[in-house]
Amino acid sequence: MPESIPASLIIDTLKDTFREARAALAAEVAEPPQHAHLGWILSVPDTHQKTVLAALDKEEAIRVVTCATEDEATAVAAGLHMGGEPVVLMIQHAGLYASINTLRGVAMDGKVPMFYMIGLLSREKDRDPRESRHSMVRYCEPLLDTFGVPHARLEGPDDVHLIPEYYRLSRARRGPAAVLVGLETA
Amino acid sequence: MAMKPEEVLRVIAAARGSAIVVPTMTTAPAWRTIAPDDLSVTCVGFMGGASSMGLGLALARPDRRVVVLDGDGSLLMQLGSLATSAGAGARNFVHLLFKNGVYHTSGAQHIPGGLTVDFAMMARAAGYRVTCAIRDLDEFRGRFPELLKAEGPVFAELHTGLAEQTPMTARGGVPFHEQVETLRARLLRPRAAA
Ligand SMILES: Cc1ncc(C[n+]2csc(CCOP(=O)(O)OP(=O)(O)O)c2C)c(N)n1
Ligand SMILES: [Mg+2]
Repeated sequence: MPESIPASLIIDTLKDTFREARAALAAEVAEPPQHAHLGWILSVPDTHQKTVLAALDKEEAIRVVTCATEDEATAVAAGLHMGGEPVVLMIQHAGLYASINTLRGVAMDGKVPMFYMIGLLSREKDRDPRESRHSMVRYCEPLLDTFGVPHARLEGPDDVHLIPEYYRLSRARRGPAAVLVGLETA
Repeated sequence: MAMKPEEVLRVIAAARGSAIVVPTMTTAPAWRTIAPDDLSVTCVGFMGGASSMGLGLALARPDRRVVVLDGDGSLLMQLGSLATSAGAGARNFVHLLFKNGVYHTSGAQHIPGGLTVDFAMMARAAGYRVTCAIRDLDEFRGRFPELLKAEGPVFAELHTGLAEQTPMTARGGVPFHEQVETLRARLLRPRAAA
């Protein structure tokens, strides 16, 4: 498993994902929103993705809203979706546990496409996350399975294609989909 | 005397123009009879999320006002959202708090602190640009049009009594996912339907 993944690679992939989402919306609706930015990151800071968050501070094309809780981030994402805006939630596993009722009530019951990038802080390189010594890491995939949320592991630069894929999947299934970030961004 | 929530809602319905409205809890059943349109979306099933969902709409559509009809117990459940909403700085965001001192929908148990909690002061401290508390219907009727136009984020604590109906006594309404789809279609106009 690689040591890290460059923040710039993630940000470029996010920009492409947002561009594709806007193009898809423009084909689908008569009045897509007109904004200078490409899309939104809703974040309660995740330790694994902190270099991405730091680099996003300088990115005018992506707007970042830092929320006090992941519940808020999920509900804000629903509002942005209704207004036609592309959104990515950037949180950590503890935040998934903290906001699971909102994932259920908003993304599942509301059939709202919701793409999550979830940092797996403390994921050990030498063992499968499901066998982790840390409960925060160990329960993440089983919890997503319980709720029927599709997920994939982003564990190196070769995996960034999962970002647009799972973003699209969340649109196609009109519900949540998650990429689990298993290593630090650099 | 506390204002009747239904009367407050009638004033809002008459003045809101093209504003998107986000009701929750006991404002929901009354709102769907008073304003049975498709420019509203109810927060149902994720207590405390009305203002955040409204914030997302406000950020997406700066061309429209977004009016949130929040519950006091609901706001307490996600109190940090005051800082999030204020910090996001949406100029078109109007947050109305129906302060009845209780969790009416779940059986009218007192909220922590009851009526002593000063939500307007909390909103001001969190950074809302305009905050006020309104106790009287004539005052609300006079001030709402100006609150609706003000440079937000705007917060008003409305001292209201108990609604006639709650989501428990008046069940039904359009399922949440249909409301989401309808509002989205209304805002974006899908080509197939256009
Ligand atoms: C997470 C969660 N905990 C508890 C409940 C139960 N519950 C349903 S309605 C309600 C009270 C809502 O009170 P408030 O926001 O003040 O609105 P009101 O009914 O007074 O208009 C509660 C506690 C819930 N729906 N969700
Ligand atoms: Mg109440």
